[in-house]
Amino acid sequence: MNYFALAALEITLLGLLSGVVGTLIVLRRRSFFAVALSHATFPGGVVFALVGWNLLIGQALFAGLLVLIMTLLARIPGQGKQVASGVVLSFGFALGTLLAGLNPGLGVPVEALLVGSPLAVTTADVTATAVVLVLALLVMLVAGRGVLLHTFDPVGFAAAGFRSWPVELVVTGVVAAGVVVAMPAVGAILGVAILIAPAATARIIAPNLWLIPPIAALIGVASGLAGLWVSREFDVAAGGAIGLITTAVFLLAFVAQWIAARRRRTRQPTATEVR
Amino acid sequence: MEFGFFEAFQLPFMARGLATVVVLAVAAGVVGLGISLREMEFVSDGLVHAVFPGLVVGAAIGGTAGLLPGAVVAALAAAVLFTVLERRGGLGADASIAVVLTGLFSLGVVLVSRQEGYVSQLQELLFGRLLTVTEAQFWQTVVVAIAAVAVMLLTARAQLFRAFDPAGFEAAGFRTFRTDLALGVAVALLVVAGVQALGVLMVIALLTVPMAAARLLTPRFALLVPIAILVPLVAGIAGLWLSFTWSVDADATVSPGAVVVLLLVAIYGLAAMARFAFAGGSRGRA
Repeated sequence: MNYFALAALEITLLGLLSGVVGTLIVLRRRSFFAVALSHATFPGGVVFALVGWNLLIGQALFAGLLVLIMTLLARIPGQGKQVASGVVLSFGFALGTLLAGLNPGLGVPVEALLVGSPLAVTTADVTATAVVLVLALLVMLVAGRGVLLHTFDPVGFAAAGFRSWPVELVVTGVVAAGVVVAMPAVGAILGVAILIAPAATARIIAPNLWLIPPIAALIGVASGLAGLWVSREFDVAAGGAIGLITTAVFLLAFVAQWIAARRRRTRQPTATEVR
Repeated sequence: MEFGFFEAFQLPFMARGLATVVVLAVAAGVVGLGISLREMEFVSDGLVHAVFPGLVVGAAIGGTAGLLPGAVVAALAAAVLFTVLERRGGLGADASIAVVLTGLFSLGVVLVSRQEGYVSQLQELLFGRLLTVTEAQFWQTVVVAIAAVAVMLLTARAQLFRAFDPAGFEAAGFRTFRTDLALGVAVALLVVAGVQALGVLMVIALLTVPMAAARLLTPRFALLVPIAILVPLVAGIAGLWLSFTWSVDADATVSPGAVVVLLLVAIYGLAAMARFAFAGGSRGRA
């Protein structure tokens, strides 16, 4: 398989993953967590690049460590969830920057860790993405109903006698895994673009809850491939092109919904007058 | 070569780095209160990313001198955009912010990737240069930081009223949009002031960590801002000194910004641990 086909396959899988991971992030309002996590895996990548081991494993390990720190910090009274994410974010970037600065002869270019390089993904990266996609689907098939109840009615969930930490654990695990496998293709900064944006768009346009994941997956695959094509045709950074297109699609849906809501509002008074 | 602590800070580039740290610490302490009280950490991160395309366009048009004007324009536009998104986004506001944040950053990356010297330029913008700030850049930073503090001080009463009693604020007939926008603009200006020294990646630390540490260290409201100024000041001076001696001794490229931010996070970590121990003790007593 040539490198372009491999990149297209990776982007397709990530687009599909957006249907599962992105939907979870958007509906459970974990966007800042996902952004902070993706940014902060940067030092893990630098450390493992220095030692010469697999980048993906380093980023995954560091992601696990940071989730632990964030969970601990979020338990301190008077400190919001956002503060924990902000601190972890600062820590990750500063550590990565220091390590990268100390070792100019790094085997992996720093900007590839930050903004990704879809055309340089390996068969192992694609396999990892596929495995995470299948696992995430399986987990959602098994635990989906519980997660859904916990998301929309946490009080009812607790009243029904369920405990909430297994749900938090499952969701955090799936989100972290999704963010990490997105890293080689779109990097530590744009990693969340292909995961969150399609799901956020789907949330706006989907007529009901069940259609959000399939619509998100569709938008994810379409805009990912479009970004890849734009990057080849116009010779711009691929990660950036994908991020721009997913955002453009989201803004289009946002504005369309706003206009539709305005129309409905202006039409309503006449309808009541007739009655 | 051996340098003492005070001799090192007499070197012109170290003195300028120190002055930059002082200016940024004061601005971060004042503006950080608004960020912390209104839980705007995520919006701040959005503003940081939004400044990036502004820097790229500014550098493309006017070289180094164009960096700051470009950043100011982008930051002000983003402040309006994020304020509107937060108000209209409803339940999905955080996802909207995340999407726009990555979108704006993507725009910056795409623009940079079209230019010559892509990699070195990108790294410079992302990582900042605390010790190679020029005289002109330093004064630009001072002006922007003063503007940020001025916006906060001029709207201080309204900001506090809005933060502590949002319903009362609206009932009293104040315009919430104007107050929110003023806060957004103040944060945006602080981002611009810090971005040349710390880079796009690490300026978020300046916005969130000092006040978070202050809130851990004291329960008294009047002490929040002084502590939030003191914490980055200590971290900044220690970080500059540490990175300087480290660079000289080990002959390595140590990013001073990264050392400063790591020390800042370390102070926060110590404060968090102290708070943990204290909270455990008081719970035992109750």
